[in-house]
Amino acid sequence: MTRAGSGSLPRYIFQRIVLVIPMIWVILTLVFFVLRVAPGDPVSAALGSKLNPQALAQARERLGFNRPLIAQYWDYLSSVAHLDFGTTFSDNQPVLRVVRDNGGATLSLTLAAFVIALAVGIPLGLVAGRYRDSVGDVAIRLFGIVSYAAPIFFVGFLLQLYVAPPLGLPTSGDASPITIFEVKPKTHILLIDVFLSGNGAAIQDVLKHLVLPAVTLGLLICGVFIRLVRVNMLMTMQADYVEAAEARGIRRRNVTWRHAFRNALVPVITVVGLQFALLLGGAVLTETTFNWPGLGQKLVLYINNRDYGAVQGIVTVFAIAVVLISLLVDIINALIDPRVRF
Amino acid sequence: MDRTKKLVAVAGTAAVVAMLSACGGSNSSSGGSTNAGTGSPWILGTTDTVTALDPAGSYDLGSSTLEYNLYQTLVTVPPNSTKIVGDAAKSCTYNDPQTLTCTLNPGEKFSNGDPLTSSDVKYSFERAIQIQDANGAAIYLLGSITDTAKNGKVTLNKGAIETPNDTTVVFHLDHPDTTFQYVLTYPGAAAIVDEDVFPADKKLPDDQVIGSGPYKLDQYKAADQATLSLNPDYTGPNPGKTGQVFVKYYSDPTALALAAKNNEVDVAWRSLAPTDVANLKKDSGVTVATGKGSEIRYWVWNVAGQVGKQLAIRQAAAQVIDRNAIATKAYDGTVDPLYSIVPPGYGGQKDSYKNAYGSPDPAKAKQILQAAGISTPVNLTVGWTPTHYGPSTEDEANELQRQLEASGLFKVTLKSTEWDNYQTVYKQGAYDLFILGWFPDYPDADDYLSPFMVDGGFFQNGYKNAKVDKLVSKEQGSSSTATREKIFGQLQDIAAHDVPFIPSWVGQNTAVYGPGMSGVESTLDPSFIFRFWLVTKAG
Repeated sequence: MTRAGSGSLPRYIFQRIVLVIPMIWVILTLVFFVLRVAPGDPVSAALGSKLNPQALAQARERLGFNRPLIAQYWDYLSSVAHLDFGTTFSDNQPVLRVVRDNGGATLSLTLAAFVIALAVGIPLGLVAGRYRDSVGDVAIRLFGIVSYAAPIFFVGFLLQLYVAPPLGLPTSGDASPITIFEVKPKTHILLIDVFLSGNGAAIQDVLKHLVLPAVTLGLLICGVFIRLVRVNMLMTMQADYVEAAEARGIRRRNVTWRHAFRNALVPVITVVGLQFALLLGGAVLTETTFNWPGLGQKLVLYINNRDYGAVQGIVTVFAIAVVLISLLVDIINALIDPRVRF
Repeated sequence: MDRTKKLVAVAGTAAVVAMLSACGGSNSSSGGSTNAGTGSPWILGTTDTVTALDPAGSYDLGSSTLEYNLYQTLVTVPPNSTKIVGDAAKSCTYNDPQTLTCTLNPGEKFSNGDPLTSSDVKYSFERAIQIQDANGAAIYLLGSITDTAKNGKVTLNKGAIETPNDTTVVFHLDHPDTTFQYVLTYPGAAAIVDEDVFPADKKLPDDQVIGSGPYKLDQYKAADQATLSLNPDYTGPNPGKTGQVFVKYYSDPTALALAAKNNEVDVAWRSLAPTDVANLKKDSGVTVATGKGSEIRYWVWNVAGQVGKQLAIRQAAAQVIDRNAIATKAYDGTVDPLYSIVPPGYGGQKDSYKNAYGSPDPAKAKQILQAAGISTPVNLTVGWTPTHYGPSTEDEANELQRQLEASGLFKVTLKSTEWDNYQTVYKQGAYDLFILGWFPDYPDADDYLSPFMVDGGFFQNGYKNAKVDKLVSKEQGSSSTATREKIFGQLQDIAAHDVPFIPSWVGQNTAVYGPGMSGVESTLDPSFIFRFWLVTKAG
């Protein structure tokens, strides 16, 4: 006998995929209209004030800005549906090429930050939960709150000023100029390309450059993991099965790590997708602080240039990435925990 | 448990392998491959952005910094001079004010070995005009050899460029114009490209460009890094010494300042915030070098407006403004007061505003207003823009407001909006007085006068003066330096009397460099050309 049907994994995955479409549509619509209602003329802003009115009119026509708004909107949706995210106004680059050339750096930074956040957040959360209300618990909770609340550029700046010099760590970029010059792009992700090159000095150089930005960004979300793991640890430690295990005479340490720990980690997977979105947002600030050549820094550059074409394209790619990663996390979560399929 | 152990073991092994491989080499930043050249590779850090490395698509300092080193122009400007000398050409000489003849150096080559001939020169101008890129300089600066149709289309005048032989180029100008020789020094308008490499009707991708300059481009990653090495085929007058030069691009001045402080870049040039420069001056690990600059800020009157059309109000404000206070309070002394729209260092420059108004004096300003029967305080709407000219613009606007109101003669309302909107609304008369900046296209005082004073200026502030138009036409048509400089002086005096704008300050050309560097000071001049060939790093 099957249950109401909604518990089927394929059906769940299908429902989630179908839901992605309106989500992306809403985001695309917001991106499009928010940029259109912003004050100023994007064409004259991107192409400078030196254009004469005739040339400006030509540029506006070429870029489609003289067409009715609804026609522009339809063109935009059609283009995105064909995976054409447009072209930047100011330097005439296809947005997808900008994403390819800079997305790798953002991905490396984001993943490294994730690893740091998990490596720091989960153990600290477990310790805090295990030793509730101890001095250690209070200190860890305080650390979690501060790391989450502190402005990212401020944390980055402190690390640049006080941590980088004594440890000899670089404060800017993803590699030294000579490494960037010598490592030939194969995947367009320097962190991978440098390992593929087998150049030990270059690997060391890239890893050294990664430390401070990844720590800065990782600290941003490790507080979330600390809190989440701590709370779940407390809840599972009070669960009946833990008490039952203890009643059966299993040592407290084994109960903690074999039973409570595993169950406390399940909700972490649930919030990974949400945290990824937060990380991408944080990456914009981190990349600017550390001159990290990623998509976030590029986005800031285009915003400063009032290049609405580029901003629209990059934000769209960002948004789609977040939605798709959320979908992936939901599916993984459903695979691990059948309860979420309902 | 077994699975967990396995995972830990795999992860641990991977980490150890990574660390072992990482420790296997020396610090890559300290060395690296170099081509020929005696100096060590060095790194220039900058916040300037590059629009395009194809000269047909650029009209900005970030692009031209590389272009000056990658390409040759027919003529160029030596450091700390406004005198024009040969580059790819032995010389360019006016046969008459409408005909300029340039003779190329024999044996000129591009970095791919192709010969550089007069045909390449002609092709370079033709394609820049043909491509007509909105971000290119050709359609703005080559007016003497082009015609603009009503629809905005720019075309090269028929017969404007002749090439009687492989080493001779003759420009036929459509009106007497001695400023054209200065335009030829600017790569955005006049860099010479290889006709066998650059397409006629579109830009070449940035990472594929080649030129005949002292350096060639080995690698270009937009907004990240450019790598240059010595051009083995260069035979011109400015051979470089350093085999390899890196240019690192920064998005934030503070990140650049930190990189300079930690010696992650050897030279930091354009643009550091005034507070960062002040801090770096206290740092013994770096040297702050300063040369004359040519970037200016000035306040424009809306002469067509109800307030700005009254000469006495414009003059009274000019009488009140204390430029020294603006330079020290808003910019930490990193800029110099400016008393003419033409900055010091240009032939014919004259501190006309200082001569006309002397020191700031509210009492004199009051007399000017009283004599004109204007009741005080005069209400002024002053416009500024927050990000385009940097964060100190707000401090300047606040200081200007303080000074004007402290005189008791003005009541100032400050208004700001972002640049994209600002440049539209100031032309619509939204402000009585508004701030703008200027960076020269070519090293001649004309570039600070004709765009500002003829026909309401490029900012369309409503100022018109037939005498000015006549004088500008006369100086542009004269080949006599003495005559031109005399006219420049007259134009500056007229500006100080009519006050269509109030000059505020001229920026310094500042660079911060680390240990072992030499030659940086040599290139810090008002041209803002960073000549890589003059800079070396010991070791």
